[in-house]
Amino acid sequence: MVNQINRQAKDDFESLKYYGQPDPLGLRQLKEAWDSRELLLSFFQRDLLIRYRQVFIGVLWVLVQPILGTLIFLLLFYFMGARKLSQSDATVFWQDASVILLGILMWQLVNNSLRDATGSLVNYRHVITKIYFPRMLLPLSSLLCALFDLAVGGVLLVPLAAWLGHSFHWQTCWAAFAAVLWLSAFCFGAILWLSSLNAQYRDVGYILPFLMQIGMFLSPVVYGFDRVENSLSKFWQIVYCGNPVASCIGLARWGVLGSPLPPVLGLMLAGLITIVLVVSSLIWFQRSNQWMADRI
Amino acid sequence: MDVHEDTSIAIDVEDVSKQFRLGTLGEHQRITEAISSKIKALLKGGTSGASQGVKDFWALEHVSFRIRQGEVVGIIGHNGAGKSTLLKILSRIVTPTCGRVGVRGRVGSLLEVGTGFHPELTGRENIFLNGAILGMKRSEIRKRFDQIVQFAEVEQFLDTPVKRYSSGMTVRLGFSVAAHMEPDVLIIDEVLSVGDQAFQNRCMGKATELGTQGRAILVVSHNLAAIANICCRAMLLDHGSIVLDASPKQVIDRYLQGMRADTGRVNWNTASAPSSDRVRLHSVSICNAGRQSSSHQVDIDQPICIRIDYEVLREDTINTVQVQLKDENGVYILSSANAPSMSLTQDDFFSKPLSVGRYRTECELPANFLNDSRYVISLFLGPEIGKPTIRCENVLAFSVLDTGAMRKEYLGSWYGPVIRPRLAWSTVEAPL
Repeated sequence: MVNQINRQAKDDFESLKYYGQPDPLGLRQLKEAWDSRELLLSFFQRDLLIRYRQVFIGVLWVLVQPILGTLIFLLLFYFMGARKLSQSDATVFWQDASVILLGILMWQLVNNSLRDATGSLVNYRHVITKIYFPRMLLPLSSLLCALFDLAVGGVLLVPLAAWLGHSFHWQTCWAAFAAVLWLSAFCFGAILWLSSLNAQYRDVGYILPFLMQIGMFLSPVVYGFDRVENSLSKFWQIVYCGNPVASCIGLARWGVLGSPLPPVLGLMLAGLITIVLVVSSLIWFQRSNQWMADRI
Repeated sequence: MDVHEDTSIAIDVEDVSKQFRLGTLGEHQRITEAISSKIKALLKGGTSGASQGVKDFWALEHVSFRIRQGEVVGIIGHNGAGKSTLLKILSRIVTPTCGRVGVRGRVGSLLEVGTGFHPELTGRENIFLNGAILGMKRSEIRKRFDQIVQFAEVEQFLDTPVKRYSSGMTVRLGFSVAAHMEPDVLIIDEVLSVGDQAFQNRCMGKATELGTQGRAILVVSHNLAAIANICCRAMLLDHGSIVLDASPKQVIDRYLQGMRADTGRVNWNTASAPSSDRVRLHSVSICNAGRQSSSHQVDIDQPICIRIDYEVLREDTINTVQVQLKDENGVYILSSANAPSMSLTQDDFFSKPLSVGRYRTECELPANFLNDSRYVISLFLGPEIGKPTIRCENVLAFSVLDTGAMRKEYLGSWYGPVIRPRLAWSTVEAPL
């Protein structure tokens, strides 16, 4: 017995885990975040629960928001004379509705995740300065919430698909899922940057709403990609699609509704930008972790 | 230490230092601050900017120690000695400037009770959330759920939002979750001093129990009695370094000696004196009434005199003096001021416009009032009581010596009570 303990004492230092192992690419933090996925789930659950406490119609808001948004932009569409009521039949109307709905659902993923995640670290500073856990979980939980909204809102596409009948493209539906995954990766990179920058410079929180407004018009949220094709030259179309949000929405619409596919070069550019964003955000977030509790 | 020689090392701290930056120059949070400080510097002739430079401040310097499994170690030290920084580094919240920290197994840190409680969530939901933040798995929480609820005594309120809890209930629930996390290394900051006495006793019991289960525990507390009771080893931290690492009794003695080394008098020179634009302190001293020379030790059976010397810098200054007394555990004993309703004697200068010059205010504590223990004085001066412009917290410590005048019949220990007044006792024959 004593021998056993002595042997244990000999390899004393071997199983000691030292903090702050070198992690230049920030990959270790991903593993850490994965290891504490239960905590991520708790945060996610908390965010969902809190969001609809003392809210009368509760979770229904997840459905009401995109419906209202679609209606508003649809009305605007007709009001501004982009479509003549007389020449449109029901199919065109539903097609327009689904183009806008899809755009709004995708945009909400970006908007909600960026909006909630940016303040997530700062709002939780009383916990960050009192206990350690992978801080990445806080912005990630906001992203999960936004994905949850998207999943629930996606249900709205089902009646639309029924209305549209054969013009709903079931064969290329996978492209929409790929687009959502891609967009999530983009949001992941963006929220790591934004939340950690906001921890030191609260300006980020102030400027974000304006950036989001600009972003909404720079992405084909409430208009179809055909308009971009009509008004921009080939070169500028590629530049336009370098915005990953624009590319993702274009891709999803192509998959589900058979809208024109964004130029392949533009898609590649957007892919490259997404990769750069994600990698740099991981590296940056890992570094910012070292001063987070001191400066937040 | 002897008992734990054979167990594995649970915490290894190697040459850890932590530097903080004081001052604002060079690290402005906002660009407007940077601009306004530039403008201020310009207005003052460009000198203040340079003199305000960044000051580096070492909260911890070259701290190294090892703690083995099963050891319960207490850390004591004055405010600002670096205790909290050390705990934050050990619990990985703060990254040390240099050096490294290694731990074995799961670390639970309890720097605050109920970290991450959300007021909108119910007790049940908060148990799961808080448990998860503390690092427990869902299955573990579910398994210990009933124990947690029982320990916290909140059965009836499980489905009530925590915002409707009393503060006592919140604290009990928070500690209860933490007490059931069963980590291999437990780090506790000044949280054992929450809740009522009965709950505190249970907390102590829980901490001791965890220690006997072979976990390494590190406790920071100002409650020296608690350290002496539950720890097998203690460390004294002073100005960011470990001064002594020994048995709790030795460390506590040394810590108190540090306080006792005072001469019973604090003098300030003009530059360093606490001052407002109207009043500047010169000195504070303590002595037995009737004696001139100050002393940090006063006799229990003599009145104790607190003497405050200060200078009024402007005509028609209105000044009040307030004194607070705490014992060595930080227990607040009394607070008094030179106002007529609080004074046995008439202070003619209270609330009167004073002319420029030096003044001395004295306050006398009665004889046979304090116990034989150590006490700390705080001073507050200002135009109105309760709105001090000069605050000197814990400015002077003194000890009351038991001369034996009060223990002619009883020779045992008086340890415990804060005050030891002579009371009017009488017994008469009272036949029914």
